[in-house]
Amino acid sequence: MRRRLALLLALGFAATAPAFAAGFPAAYAPTVVLPTALAEQRFEFDLSAPLARAAREHKRLYVYLGASDCPFCRKYEAFLTTHAGELVPEFAKDYLVVDLRSSLSVTTQRLYIRIGASSLPYSEFQRSIGDERARQLVYPSVWLFDEKAKPLMQMPAGTGTFETVPEQLEVLHLEQ
Amino acid sequence: MTAHLPSRRRALQGAAALALLPNAAWAAVGGLPTAAHDASSPEWDRLSERLFPGRKLVAGQSVVQLVVPLRAAYGASVPIKIVSKLAQKPDLYVRKLWLVVDKNPSPVAIVLDLGTEVGQADFETRLRVDEYSHVRVVEELSNGELHTDSRYVKTSGGCSAPPNRDALNLIGRTTLKLPGELRLDQPTTADVTVVHPNDTGFELNQVTVMYIPPHFVRSIRMSYAKRKIFDAELDFSVSENPTLRFNFVPHGPGELRAEVTDSKDAQFVGSLAIQAPAP
Repeated sequence: MRRRLALLLALGFAATAPAFAAGFPAAYAPTVVLPTALAEQRFEFDLSAPLARAAREHKRLYVYLGASDCPFCRKYEAFLTTHAGELVPEFAKDYLVVDLRSSLSVTTQRLYIRIGASSLPYSEFQRSIGDERARQLVYPSVWLFDEKAKPLMQMPAGTGTFETVPEQLEVLHLEQ
Repeated sequence: MTAHLPSRRRALQGAAALALLPNAAWAAVGGLPTAAHDASSPEWDRLSERLFPGRKLVAGQSVVQLVVPLRAAYGASVPIKIVSKLAQKPDLYVRKLWLVVDKNPSPVAIVLDLGTEVGQADFETRLRVDEYSHVRVVEELSNGELHTDSRYVKTSGGCSAPPNRDALNLIGRTTLKLPGELRLDQPTTADVTVVHPNDTGFELNQVTVMYIPPHFVRSIRMSYAKRKIFDAELDFSVSENPTLRFNFVPHGPGELRAEVTDSKDAQFVGSLAIQAPAP
């Protein structure tokens, strides 16, 4: 009886915990970062290791924040899959792709970004890097960083403005 | 989560996309054809003929330059900067200025009526840009010439978490500040901000499933020591909490004053006492 109760509780927790599946297409060889669950339903993504790798390889980071239950994320990922032949070499030239796998239930107050010893909630993190998207968390989101986590360009909320090959190339080439 | 709206009337669809409301579909469709920054559009062809019938518009950046990012962080708040290459002197100055977003439901965002007290007709503000569109500025000089510059802007979106709206009980609070140094007899930069939702009338309240009635700042009249700096007519294409950065020329101590009227004829006043800088 006790075992059955424990199983039911475990199943109940699994049903309420966010799912962090799906993400950037494998053809782009993304580094997948799953969140660490903190207290009070907070989820932290650690960029320290990808940044260290970027420094070693003298690459930029293309950080993608997607949600497992976000249709716009699936749309962007489908676009990337369809055009992998053209885009994978362009990404590989300068970027390491980092795939932060989240869920729509991970909202502004619940999402934390860690770099080294500093872990900041989404809005504070955005303000700390001078990103204008501090006010509202939109899935999917993309950041372009150099190896020292300095943003290379102000990115838009969402990915809808770079879902054609020429527009994706505009972003990769930092055209503003 | 937000989703793109199914096909409705284009204007409704577009303007609903502007809203920064919880769960509102605030983003327009991306991936549309790219256009050159200096290209025209069918909307602009029609509008320019209505605004400036039979008049020649000189395109380029020799008199006025528009600075707008190709992709802004949010389509509901696209930063716009107007740089005038001409000082406001009595013999030749910018006397009127239009800011237009071609594809917005109401494309004329701001019309400014200027005098020489502006000193330098540079302005900054934030606009709602509904979809891939040109943003344009037109300056009319005191000699009657019209000069224009334009930028193509791409906006879109995705799934969003609810934003924090500003306190609605503060609607109309008008603040003025000088972000830089006060310079006597020189153009001095100032900001005017009105706390206001600037509701478009196309935003759907997700709880009541009713459209929120339009309610936006219609005019701002700026003066210094009772001398006109500019009169601005605004539209809901201006972002929530309308802000204008502008210049004025202080000749001595005085009151910098903003008189604001919204679309419900509510009137608000903001003022800032300016002291002469220490010699």
